[in-house]
Amino acid sequence: MKKKHGIVMLLNMVMLWVVGETSGAPTGVTGPLPAGTSQATSQLPLTGTVKNSQEVPLEGVSVYIKDTDVGTATDAEGRFVFEEIDPGATLVFRSMGYKTVDMQVAGRSVLEVVMEADVSGLDEVIVVGYGVAKKSDLTGAVHRVDATHFRDQSLTQLTDMLAGTVAGFQANQGTTAAGGTSMEIRGVNSINASTSPMVVLDGVIYNGSINDINPNDIESVDILKDASSAAVYGARAANGVILVTTKRGASGKPTINVSVKQGLSQATSTEYAARGPQAYVDFRRDFLRTLGGPHPDYYFHNPRELPAEVSIDDWRSASNNPNPDDVQEWLSRLNFFPLELNNYLNGQTVNWVDEVMQTGHRQEYDVSMDGGSTNTNYFWSLGYLDNEGIILGDRHGNIRSRLNLDTRVNGWLRAGLNAQYAYRDQSAVPASLGNLSMVSPFSTLYEEDGTINFYPHGYLTPNPLINTLGQARDYTVQGLFASIYAEVKLPFGISYRLSFQPRSALTKDYNFWSTETITGRETYNNGYATRQDNSSFEWMVDNLLKWNRTFGVHGFDVTLLYNAEQFKSWGSEMGNQSFQPSPTLGYGGLQYGNNPFLNTNDIQYTGDGFMARINYTLMDKYLITGSIRRDGFSGFGQENPYAVFPAAAVAWQVHREGFFDVDFVDQLKLRASWGRNGNRDIGPYASFARMQSVQYYDGSNALVGIYASNLANPGLSWEETESLNFGADLTFFNNRLNITVDYYDAQTNRLLVERSLPTITGFSSVTANIGALANEGFEFTLSSLNVQRPNLTWRSTLNFSFNRNRITSLFGEHGTYTLESQTYTGEVPDFSNQWFIGKPLDVVWDYNILGVWQAEEAEAAAQYGLKPGDYKVEDLDGNMVYEALQDKQFIGYKSPRYMIGLRNEFDFLRHFSASIFLRADLGHIRAFSPLVADFSTYDRRSTPNFPYWTPENRSNDFPRLSRNVSGFGGGIVPYKATGFFRVQDVTFSYTLPSRLMQKAGIDHARLALSGRNIFTISDWPGWDPESGDQPMPKVYTLGLNFSL
Amino acid sequence: MNTLSEKRSDMNGLKALRGIAVVTLALLALSCSKSFLKPEPKSFFTPENVFVDKQGFETLLITMRKDLNREQTAQKNFMAHQWAASEAGVPWLQMDFTRLTPNTDTYQQFVNQINDIFQMVRNANTIISRIDDIAWGDEADRNHVLAEALWHRSYWYYRLIGSYGDLPFVQEEVRGAKIDFYTHSRWAILNKIQTDMEFVVQWMPVSTAPGVPSRGAADHLLTKIYLANMEFEKAVESAGRVIDGPYALMTGRFGQDAADPAKNVIWDLHRPDNKNLPQNTETILAFVDRWEAPPEARSAGLFTMRVYNCAWYNSANAKDKDGKLGMIDSGPLYDSLGRGNPDVALSDYHSYMIWEDDRYDYRSTPDLRRADINWWDREELFYNNPASSQYGQPFDPQNMDNPDEYWARIYAMPFYKTYVPNKPDQMGQPYGSNGDWYIFRLAETLLLRAEAYYWLGRLDLAAHDINAVRTRAKATPISAEDVTLEFIFDERARELFAEEPRQNELNRVSYILAARNERGYSLENLHQKNWFYDRVRSLNNFYDHYNDLIMLGQSPRIEPYHFQWPIDDNIITANTLGRINQNKGYVGAENNVPPLETVEEGH
Repeated sequence: MKKKHGIVMLLNMVMLWVVGETSGAPTGVTGPLPAGTSQATSQLPLTGTVKNSQEVPLEGVSVYIKDTDVGTATDAEGRFVFEEIDPGATLVFRSMGYKTVDMQVAGRSVLEVVMEADVSGLDEVIVVGYGVAKKSDLTGAVHRVDATHFRDQSLTQLTDMLAGTVAGFQANQGTTAAGGTSMEIRGVNSINASTSPMVVLDGVIYNGSINDINPNDIESVDILKDASSAAVYGARAANGVILVTTKRGASGKPTINVSVKQGLSQATSTEYAARGPQAYVDFRRDFLRTLGGPHPDYYFHNPRELPAEVSIDDWRSASNNPNPDDVQEWLSRLNFFPLELNNYLNGQTVNWVDEVMQTGHRQEYDVSMDGGSTNTNYFWSLGYLDNEGIILGDRHGNIRSRLNLDTRVNGWLRAGLNAQYAYRDQSAVPASLGNLSMVSPFSTLYEEDGTINFYPHGYLTPNPLINTLGQARDYTVQGLFASIYAEVKLPFGISYRLSFQPRSALTKDYNFWSTETITGRETYNNGYATRQDNSSFEWMVDNLLKWNRTFGVHGFDVTLLYNAEQFKSWGSEMGNQSFQPSPTLGYGGLQYGNNPFLNTNDIQYTGDGFMARINYTLMDKYLITGSIRRDGFSGFGQENPYAVFPAAAVAWQVHREGFFDVDFVDQLKLRASWGRNGNRDIGPYASFARMQSVQYYDGSNALVGIYASNLANPGLSWEETESLNFGADLTFFNNRLNITVDYYDAQTNRLLVERSLPTITGFSSVTANIGALANEGFEFTLSSLNVQRPNLTWRSTLNFSFNRNRITSLFGEHGTYTLESQTYTGEVPDFSNQWFIGKPLDVVWDYNILGVWQAEEAEAAAQYGLKPGDYKVEDLDGNMVYEALQDKQFIGYKSPRYMIGLRNEFDFLRHFSASIFLRADLGHIRAFSPLVADFSTYDRRSTPNFPYWTPENRSNDFPRLSRNVSGFGGGIVPYKATGFFRVQDVTFSYTLPSRLMQKAGIDHARLALSGRNIFTISDWPGWDPESGDQPMPKVYTLGLNFSL
Repeated sequence: MNTLSEKRSDMNGLKALRGIAVVTLALLALSCSKSFLKPEPKSFFTPENVFVDKQGFETLLITMRKDLNREQTAQKNFMAHQWAASEAGVPWLQMDFTRLTPNTDTYQQFVNQINDIFQMVRNANTIISRIDDIAWGDEADRNHVLAEALWHRSYWYYRLIGSYGDLPFVQEEVRGAKIDFYTHSRWAILNKIQTDMEFVVQWMPVSTAPGVPSRGAADHLLTKIYLANMEFEKAVESAGRVIDGPYALMTGRFGQDAADPAKNVIWDLHRPDNKNLPQNTETILAFVDRWEAPPEARSAGLFTMRVYNCAWYNSANAKDKDGKLGMIDSGPLYDSLGRGNPDVALSDYHSYMIWEDDRYDYRSTPDLRRADINWWDREELFYNNPASSQYGQPFDPQNMDNPDEYWARIYAMPFYKTYVPNKPDQMGQPYGSNGDWYIFRLAETLLLRAEAYYWLGRLDLAAHDINAVRTRAKATPISAEDVTLEFIFDERARELFAEEPRQNELNRVSYILAARNERGYSLENLHQKNWFYDRVRSLNNFYDHYNDLIMLGQSPRIEPYHFQWPIDDNIITANTLGRINQNKGYVGAENNVPPLETVEEGH
């Protein structure tokens, strides 16, 4: 604590010194006068047009007065207007994909501006931690995603923008109506702590749901990939940082933007979903006949399709007591339930895929208004989204609103507010995909009285629709997040910013299982209802002191930060069952049940941080950054509540050197950075031994018992990732080709790990800091302007990356162990978790499946206790027994080995534009467990539609249905290639001629058609190579956008 | 230039800045107060704030009492495995024990249950290790709490060594990453729990609430431990303390069906509602599990009808003469017999052999434990499908698809033990509803003392105890010369089906015979030759059908080393700094080191 007080004192002394020093200076402090404060009398109106070098008018170019926030944007004809402007002002023109232009007004009233194409984006202002920087001044690896690429697609969440589009960023698209994408920057840096990047929204740390940020409000997303860029966020930055910048208003007349999108979504494929009637009958036959029962092989055959040498009498007499009806006898042999048998005889089948899957309707309506006066800018938006998923009952709705307000109170004080409110409706109860694949096609969906049939084919498999139809759910989340700030300009180029971020969230999840559900009738009786309420409040305070000065060839930029945060949440849950006189009131009438329960869960944590950073520029050629941060967090063991995270980086603008003389190279920058970051994301109470409660009834009283559910670790501490980054930025051919390459080498130490324990301790694991994990990788991004003609512009962006992960140490325990039939001495692996020193975390250690034993290999198979149709597996030590340590091998990797994305964008015939994004994740494998899953009930149900081996229909990839896997020591899991290539998005848009529109009072209007996931190539036998065991939606969207 | 206005704005700025600096200072001071980073548990207890008084310790004892219901609740319960690995039954879904390996037990929990049981050991150890963390006002309070914790630990260790043999003896609460365990021999463990239990019997109360172990339960458990440890004289003594205590065999009608003249005392004894009745003087300990409890406080149910009854309604079995489904899973018959899976298919040994002697067979025996009213014999099955032309007529096995499997698929059901129908307000499949179940009962104490007498060669006394149990059941008394180990274990099977941990008790004797080098057994090659295997293999008729019975691709097969189950590989591999032995016969045993022969006294 002493040390901390010291730093607080220091920070305040710095501030007081600044104050004292300034007040001590009587006069002579001069600085550039903000233009907005100039006297109005000297101002004049100004209009202008912005075009590219092909004379095509540029829309959406931001035009603002230098050193102010006063600005506007060009319309579809490239025009802009300032009602009044200082004749001596300088205007700055910025547009994505063009070089920034500075132009002095010089008393003119009309300006013609030409902007040159630039794919390097060197003039772009990139958001970095606690500030912004020109891209050309960056020393670290930062990638910008411009949201305009995605404006015509229907996005549920901002992460939809990121899947596949950023080198080094691995993300898989979500499959549900709510969306949601996993995110991983530069590989997995942790074994058990979260590997999701932290999110910074408009400059402040954002702990809320990404779902609450409307993608339509987003201006850009910047991703901090290397340690030095992210290190200013210290203890939470090890997984990288995503900086989201939302739109802000520009001065000028108010603009209203309206966007309407209507979409349809369907599964990319339903082939895997379920077996149809014929396939189901075949499946049952093929399972039973290879099961090894006492019957002849033809016993389970359809009597009308017997093999030539088998007579119907042979077939009948194979049963001691055949049913007089051959078909009924056959179906009885196939274990058909009476209900199924009737349906078969009556030719009644259910197409479960049609019942469970649907074409989802997606609708999205957004309206936003922005504008500003001389001193105040505003942006306000309201969006409504209603998505139906591709599974019956899956639906997601939300209302999101944002208000961004900036006011210049006077020349030295600015204040403002960024606020967002989101209301999400997640009440979906999707139909069960698992039961879809298990239920028989010879089913009866409803009982005769119209109520749902719980077990549509007799028994075992519940109706996939039960809960969708019989459960009432009200699951909503409201979130309010704001950042309120004041910023003071001080002499000497110092500024001080104080911001306060409150965030509150209210979640309620109310459920009622009616007597038309198994839960409400069988598990509990006469209805079951629960109510969960959770509210949370969090605050965060940032104190930022910045100093920016140039002395000749020396440029300094200093940032100091003190941050503090506190989070509290309160959760309550209650429920009841067996409602009297009836369950009609559902979750609204909990008091009418006879067996209530309740449960509460409150959480609190606190944290604080100090940070200092300096950027130093020498002669605009040499750039140096250094930073240090110290973080405290209540969630770690009290032996280690603090940690320090330093970082440093250098960059060299080689092309500015006199000796550099290569004509076609416009820019060559070399970068190197080093830094250390943390990860604290393992839950606020991980260091405690927690006692759980159990309910007990002793025959007359309900009692509560407790037990210790996990082990304490008072020494628990941060996970630390230290990484090096080397990069280069190159621009060629008059800014038409830009290449960025980065290589990184990261090592995470003191991993937060759920360390396996022998369960005789009573615990299966303990949370501990152990071992180390290394990640190295390479990222390549190429942007090019391929064609630029008056009627056609063609741009491409290609990204390519790979990451190689390696466990460098685990528990530090040495000994002799066996692996792949070899004996090793050294640090011992964790076999329980399949963690091996020197191998990646995602390595697959399993049996090497060579194929499937065929009929003529029966003898060889029998040596292993196997039969034709079982897996043929490599026996490394040749001892005729499959033992895990001897015979399991490293057979592949679960994460993509290479990731490629290619976006092509076209603007043509003035009004049209199109883009196509191709993505490939290559070289990885994924467990395909249906092939070895529990099969004792295959004689009474169905499975998803995967292929299998039969004596006639041989396969070397898929085993027989009744395969024997018990002889494979440690178990066997088959893996299948899950690499894929997909056309992930395609957009085509048409901007309506503005002359036409303006007659209707519309500034601008655009029609767009887009498609997502419209084509995929993969060998994966399951639902979708990207999601694995969930169907992936294919979405078509028609959008209309206009502004007034 | 506007220097004046600029200067003024600077001055304002300075004032404002001073104000902000003050606010900031205040914020910093607030956030830097000592407690700011101190974590605050809000909704969970930690050991530090639980074990501060007697109440805290007793709350943990409640969890341990509840855990006793794991013996016979839910489908894959511990007791079912004890009978599936015995003369009386086979695990129907997994009859080939050679498919049981240290890392797969497929549909059963032969491997996995060890992980659950060690959680109960952990709970006991939490109390044992922390017992002296507080100052006890009354030493007796301390000893009562400690005694019950030791009782639970000894109970579960007795079960563990019965199932798995040698194991590490964990005697303290583990508080960190302990991964250097070594195996103790079962003899070392027996010595340790014997010592512990000798303390326990002094401190357990004589009379307790239902489901709470008493002094009788301690003496009963100690008797088993003495027997296993070959302290036969002491076993006679401790059993005698129970038998002479406040217990008596039930001989008269009582409980919920007492007024039904068709039933008998054995029926009454095994109604779940009667097990913890005050008038039931035979109960030493029975766990409590009631449907009327709050949902979170009750188990999934006893599952006796699911686990032990046959799948008579299954379409392969249930055909009528027309080849159509004659027995169906609905109606009163279904509600009474339930949805047999079965997890334990019962053998002829249990259904017929043990009820036969020179004079009687299972039909004619006067033994109430095989009384017609108490069993549902397979001859009593009838076509219950109203749509069948044979509706109401007796089931004819000749109508089965494969009558050769009649013996295996349809067997006599010990209805008086398995019958636990759904409660009137309980929906769902009839599997065996919630109910109380015996852990220890006086009849077993008598049979334990009889066994102790047997080992001591006092066969007359042994016969006397056995006859106490037999005459209550109206079975013919035996004489001293009839007393053999085999007879005692047959009697246990007759009396204690689904109550005693059968495999554990058989193994107890296997070790005794081997230690005494009787009948050609020895400890050195126990995994190749043991009494358990010889008895199970010769008495369980399933194992004669390796070549003609296939269920789910497996045929009944057992080898001598299966007398103990494999130790979960994950336990062995996670213990990287020590060596936990695998049972001989299973893969991995080649890495064993000699087990520790004594348990060092903890702290």
